[in-house]
Amino acid sequence: MTAPTIGYAGMTHLGLCSAVAAASKGFATLGFDADADLVGRLQAGRLPVVEPDLDDLLRANKSRVAFSPDMRRLAECDLVYVAPDVPTDDQGKSDLAGLDRLLDLVLDNVKPGAVVTVLSQVPPAFTRARQRPGRLLYYQVETLVFGRAVERATKPERFIVGCPDPAEPLPPVLATFLGAFGCPILPMRFESAELCKISINCCLVASVSVANTLAELCERINADWSEIAPALRLDRRIGAYSYLAPGLGLAGGNLERDLATVLRFSEEFGTEAGVIKGFVANSSHRRDWPLRVLHEALLRKVEKPVIAVLGLAYKENTHSVKNSPSLALIRHLAPWPLRVFDPVVAASVAPHPAVSGAKSPLEAASGADAVVIMTPWPEFRAISCSDLARAMRGRLVLDPYAVLDRKAARAAGLDHRTLGVA
Amino acid sequence: MLVHQYETAKAPKRVVIVGAGGFVGGAIAKELGRANIPVLPLTRKDVDLLSPAADTLAGHLQSDDAVVFVSAVAPAKNTAQLMTNLRMAEAGCLAFAKVAPAHLVYISSDAVYIDDANPVTERSAVAPSTVHGMMHAARELMFRNEYRGPLAFLRPTLIFGAADPHSGYGPNRFRRQAAKGEPITIFGEGEEKRDHVSVEDVARLAVRILLHRSTGALNAATGVATSFCDIAHLVAAQFSPPAEVKSVPRPGPRPHLLHRFFDVIACHKAFPDFRYESLADGIARVHRECVA
Repeated sequence: MTAPTIGYAGMTHLGLCSAVAAASKGFATLGFDADADLVGRLQAGRLPVVEPDLDDLLRANKSRVAFSPDMRRLAECDLVYVAPDVPTDDQGKSDLAGLDRLLDLVLDNVKPGAVVTVLSQVPPAFTRARQRPGRLLYYQVETLVFGRAVERATKPERFIVGCPDPAEPLPPVLATFLGAFGCPILPMRFESAELCKISINCCLVASVSVANTLAELCERINADWSEIAPALRLDRRIGAYSYLAPGLGLAGGNLERDLATVLRFSEEFGTEAGVIKGFVANSSHRRDWPLRVLHEALLRKVEKPVIAVLGLAYKENTHSVKNSPSLALIRHLAPWPLRVFDPVVAASVAPHPAVSGAKSPLEAASGADAVVIMTPWPEFRAISCSDLARAMRGRLVLDPYAVLDRKAARAAGLDHRTLGVA
Repeated sequence: MLVHQYETAKAPKRVVIVGAGGFVGGAIAKELGRANIPVLPLTRKDVDLLSPAADTLAGHLQSDDAVVFVSAVAPAKNTAQLMTNLRMAEAGCLAFAKVAPAHLVYISSDAVYIDDANPVTERSAVAPSTVHGMMHAARELMFRNEYRGPLAFLRPTLIFGAADPHSGYGPNRFRRQAAKGEPITIFGEGEEKRDHVSVEDVARLAVRILLHRSTGALNAATGVATSFCDIAHLVAAQFSPPAEVKSVPRPGPRPHLLHRFFDVIACHKAFPDFRYESLADGIARVHRECVA
């Protein structure tokens, strides 16, 4: 068969990164979004997301990628992925209305015989309930990671495809497209695929929660988690790529959404999910690590402290602040002057009545009693500890992700605090 | 967790303290006085909650009052004391049904929490294992059920202070033993770690809750747990020469849960600039007050 044309509906982080990855495999690709302004920016090469290598990959494959706000152009596609963001509420529950609207629009506009595949994250039973006579609707698990989306989209470990009947072969157009990536393809029933996505995330959360639980213990008993984690990675039962870096709880929204979904389903079907509640409690507890340390080491001792926060994004290499630990901290620092710096997020995002933005990390740190490095941006690794010590009024540096070299920080006279070590 | 109805502190028109004659109630009255907030301190002489009291109590109330309900027979050790305390709370509920105050703060206890909560937070399960804890849990439930206005529970851990009428195991008993020239006695090695909070800090937190018309629950605990052995030595060091600290056999088996810690992050979030007095400072201050 001739190479199929691939469409992506919803130029979100997921849709855009996936579309560029499809083009990089040699497929003619259409990126559809009803937002004409967004499409205009994409056509001009101005991307709405920050992802390493995304701009370069798009430039290199520009001839194969078209962007359009015209829904009629979906009829040109043999395979259309539906990839809008699915927002969540404070309890992590998905609002599926936007996805349903876009899915209806796509199903109404694709040509007969085209395959439509839901790529957004959906709860179990979603895809089967949307089957429509005369239309081929599938579900595919996405496993993009903010900050590593291009790598994950171009070199996936495997494809997980939810099907009406996994015993039947995949439609040729879908099989051809997925086959171009050279990785295993795992067809399974819809509900299994939908729960598979949640299962992957629960396993990741389990690893992170173990790391967080034991890292906190390390902080109290003079152990060092950074010495322990490499030993665990060499254990085949645990694995070299395990999520063993301690962090400030879950962020970004997707993992929290999946935990909420499991809890909701376990309540509905009467299954035991105590461990999931434990993950949620641990995440909430560790999120407050910086606030605890600030109170213990500074706020109960210094009358009018000045605090500098470096990093607002929920993780490095992204503009997203969804469930950002940095913003969660800043909300509780209202009584004191605050300076912030983030390479891509504006200071005005900080929920604080007296925040001032700085142009550099050292400008933010100037005269501060404490510096808190809340996002491990790569450029923060270049901060000289001696320059930092000279700029600051106090000595306290909270560096949960160990961005700074601990020995250099201590040699500069800084009171350097990081996760997982006393 | 507390939720503030007033983000910026705003003094209530008047605060009625039910149980102002007690250790905690008296401290709250004093703290409100310091903050120049009008107080109506009610003691047992004014309102006996064990006689038909709802009308009497309601007669003292105005609808724009904030009420601190702290009156209790504490610690409640048996069924009779439990029922007594529930009748007192019932009188309060009936009075609030007649005149609903603008804000109700109930001074409860950390005894409401399940024994194995560690660290204890405001989200820990309310599942008391003692009559005293059940008494507070039941009273919380009664107020929650019967009073529909903004309601806050302040749950202090072990309280110390110069005016403490009890002589429970801990700083108060140790100081009294040393003051009488007796050795301070600790059970076993006194290794159990507990959090202790000064009655002044409990009062300051209560006033902050009143100023923000907060709702929900907040623990009054410092976040620092200290062994009874260390507490005994802190108290002993106040005396010259230092008092003797003596180990005595435990009156019963060693506690199932040896230590109890509190995570006080909810307090940091509710009142970011609130600072607890350290146990060492508090013990020294109480000693100075007692010898003055």
